[in-house]
Amino acid sequence: MFFPTQFPWAKDQSLGEHLEASGVSRRDFLEFCGQMAVLLGLTEMAAPRVAAALEGVKRPVVIWIQLQECTGCVESILRSADPSIGELILNIVSLDYSHTLMAASGTAAEAALASSMKANMGEYLLVVTGSVPLAEGGIYTTMGGRTAKDVLVEAAAGAKAVFAVGACAHWGSVQAAKPNPTGAVGVAEIIKDKPIVHLTGCPPIAETITATFVHYLTFGALPELDSDGRPLFAYGARIHDQCPRRANFDAGQYVEVFDDDAARKGWCLYKVGCKGPATFSPCPIFMWNMKTSWPIGAGHPCIGCTERNFWDTMTPFYNRLPNVAGLGIEQTADTIGAALAAGALAGVAAHAAATTVHQIRSHRKAAAAEGAHDGQD
Amino acid sequence: MTVPTPRHGPAPPPMADSPLFPLGARFAPPSGNYRWVEPWGAPLRVMHWVAALAILVLIVTGFYIGRPYFMTTGAPPQYLMGYIRLIHYVAAGVFVMTGLVRVYWLFAGNQFERLPALFPIRKRDWVNLVTQVKYYLMIHPERAPHYIGHNPLQQLSYTTTYVVSIVVMFTGFAMYGQAAPGGFFYTITQPLTLAVGGIQVVRLVHHLCVWWFIIFPIMHIYLVIRKEVTERGGGLSGIINGGHYIRADKQYVDE
Ligand code: SF4
Ligand code: SF4
Repeated sequence: MFFPTQFPWAKDQSLGEHLEASGVSRRDFLEFCGQMAVLLGLTEMAAPRVAAALEGVKRPVVIWIQLQECTGCVESILRSADPSIGELILNIVSLDYSHTLMAASGTAAEAALASSMKANMGEYLLVVTGSVPLAEGGIYTTMGGRTAKDVLVEAAAGAKAVFAVGACAHWGSVQAAKPNPTGAVGVAEIIKDKPIVHLTGCPPIAETITATFVHYLTFGALPELDSDGRPLFAYGARIHDQCPRRANFDAGQYVEVFDDDAARKGWCLYKVGCKGPATFSPCPIFMWNMKTSWPIGAGHPCIGCTERNFWDTMTPFYNRLPNVAGLGIEQTADTIGAALAAGALAGVAAHAAATTVHQIRSHRKAAAAEGAHDGQD
Repeated sequence: MTVPTPRHGPAPPPMADSPLFPLGARFAPPSGNYRWVEPWGAPLRVMHWVAALAILVLIVTGFYIGRPYFMTTGAPPQYLMGYIRLIHYVAAGVFVMTGLVRVYWLFAGNQFERLPALFPIRKRDWVNLVTQVKYYLMIHPERAPHYIGHNPLQQLSYTTTYVVSIVVMFTGFAMYGQAAPGGFFYTITQPLTLAVGGIQVVRLVHHLCVWWFIIFPIMHIYLVIRKEVTERGGGLSGIINGGHYIRADKQYVDE
């Protein structure tokens, strides 16, 4: 449904038949399977098995709902990898419903959603992008007059598994940043009784999503997840531990400002606020836009967009540490600490002076008392 | 387990009492009516100084890691940040060990070193806390409550230091563990990391804690020296040789 294709994947066709019909060569398909196996952390030896499993797969029913969001995640997916494989992916993910991409609109679109959900009850895969606003009864996002929460709950009821795609679906993203005026939350806050995989990032890399689909189709299950619900094959290691600039970090070589000599040499971006040390993401490996580049590769520090609360905790984006909140004016930990330490030093000095004065006085008093005593003798 | 009681009594025979650090015992008693007490056991003293050194190393290397204030300029292979992080982690390990010694000594130490001595638990301690504060504020600079061990204000500030130490260690481990998800340090720290809002919050807390280790020693060292100057009992050397002199004509709250 993404691109109107000449060879739509028919309902009961297996993927193998479908690919053959669409003229995808076996070689390309195996290459794709090999890439996916590697992304998933399997060995390339697993590629034939992935291929065998995928070939037999019947067309899955995928329903994609978009809640409170910017459509950036959909954009990211549309730009996945090179055209032949992209087409393949898009054909795998033949969508029964996606209100941005489908031709139908209005009542017709809603009818398509309802009928697809009914026909495939308990079988379909639900993809969700966007957060769920809960404030004031959820009025901040409505579709066809129904709140995002209602749409989500209804769609999830018949889903076999849920792909929560993007930072919005993960924890709310920018609209959930303080003070979160719409009360935005992630999918997992609402849907508790379905397997959910979080493909987080703002937006996530398309290949992450593709590989998770492939895993799901191949093994019939979601991949192994980390403590925040993200698939380990993609989010299992920090940017910082996979970064090509890590040698410069370890050597003590840092960019100080964006146009200095160090920046031209491609040194580490730590001092201009890189959040790579706090961020689990496959960016350095998968990269973006058909492996063209990625933020740090292009000389910009990582902003930590795959981590929960990153709009609050990873900002200021060009400083390493968040400001200390709640002091009226925003202050860094070090300014506050240095001010307190200076205060302590000043206090100690003043106290020492007062003590000295007191000591001198009491010595004088004692001496005077002694003198008076002497006088009496 | 029997509680080893601290010695106190007349001036010790020189040298014999502190086999570990005989230095202090060489000091002659100050003139006047003083007697000798030995409140601090050897493990506590060793722990104190090892921890002090470790903290100093941790602060210097930690500030570099937080904001690398000098750089190498030549081509790799260089490893400045790598070595500084290594030193930081080794010092952190030493610091944790001192913590373990302290925990052991909370149960094996004498009455001034054991767990109850960490907190002003009795009513009289709270009364004395106020007196102590007034004393330091020079509201009544002549009247301080007398303790052989720690006075309530010391209890509070030292116990705070222990608490901050635990926080700084835990947050340190949380950041350390990030490099190896699923590993030991990651597993024990991750639930709390997520609960407080993520690793950046942990990092901020770690940085804020460090300032306690800068501000506390300023006051600590000042007050210890001040006490030494005003009371002349050798309390300063007590943390080296274990004992010091106290005025024999006073009543001691915790005796
Ligand atoms: S996660 Fe980011 S890119 Fe995706 S919909 Fe939300 S705001 Fe847009
Ligand atoms: S650029 Fe960022 S992620 Fe890469 S080594 Fe430097 S701090 Fe780490």
